Amino acid sequence: MKTKIKKVLEEAAISTFEDICFMYAVPELKEIQNNLKMEAAAEVKYHGDYTGKLLIETRGGLFSAIAANILSNDIPTPRQKRDALGEIANIICGNIVTCLGRGEQGYKIESPKFLKKDMLGKEEQQGKPLSEITLNFNEGRADVKFFVDGYFDAKEKKK
Amino acid sequence: MALNILVVDDSSVMRSIIIKTLRLTGLSLGDIWEAENGEEGLRHLQEKWIDLAFVDIHMPVMDGNEMISHLRENDQYENLPVIVISSESDPGKIEMIHKQGATFIHKPFKPEILKEVIIAVTGVSNEDKD
Repeated sequence: MKTKIKKVLEEAAISTFEDICFMYAVPELKEIQNNLKMEAAAEVKYHGDYTGKLLIETRGGLFSAIAANILSNDIPTPRQKRDALGEIANIICGNIVTCLGRGEQGYKIESPKFLKKDMLGKEEQQGKPLSEITLNFNEGRADVKFFVDGYFDAKEKKK
Repeated sequence: MALNILVVDDSSVMRSIIIKTLRLTGLSLGDIWEAENGEEGLRHLQEKWIDLAFVDIHMPVMDGNEMISHLRENDQYENLPVIVISSESDPGKIEMIHKQGATFIHKPFKPEILKEVIIAVTGVSNEDKD
């Protein structure tokens, strides 16, 4: 399941950025993008046969660029930036849960939640993602992490 | 037939995402109008020819339920196809949307789903060949 999720996560994230934001990932990680500070994050929780969440973090100006590209407006408001990041997380999550069985209909996806930096620290302590990808853009960088609750615990028990 | 569409949502980001997704459906689209709340949406309907409305539920000034109620009480718009795109998951509220004669699509949504629903509620099926 892990390999399949990673592939779908990558495809879903790339197509969402292309279709909705007209942003195209660049294949090579620029040196400067390795050490960018996180600027914003949003999460979307899902419930069904499996439960978990999708977390997206932006770095290097991508937070503002997402809203700017969606709205064709160079100076988006803080609310527009938060809404845009949340909706992108929502769309990517909706594409991935279909791979977990029973299709999208069997899953309830919660409204996106924007995470402040202090909340993010706590979120990251909740376990490690089943899959994660990094997308680099000329406008910055996105780290997308997909969590399935209890997945690693179950693996450990099997061992 | 190119569809003239009204998109009513208080989030400019969501309006923009709906419009971008509409363009991905391949359906023939005419004019697309935007409104920030139900009241503004009703004003657009009085002034323009609209074939289909996308209406959010949670909005300030006039919410989606109230806007749809106004539509259904008016002979001119009682049969206007309305699609509600929302993250609402309360079965009672979703049932109410259906009772108002609107179609509910849960967020997030894909172009294929949107296309399927638009064809079902409007009867159009021509694709934009441009």
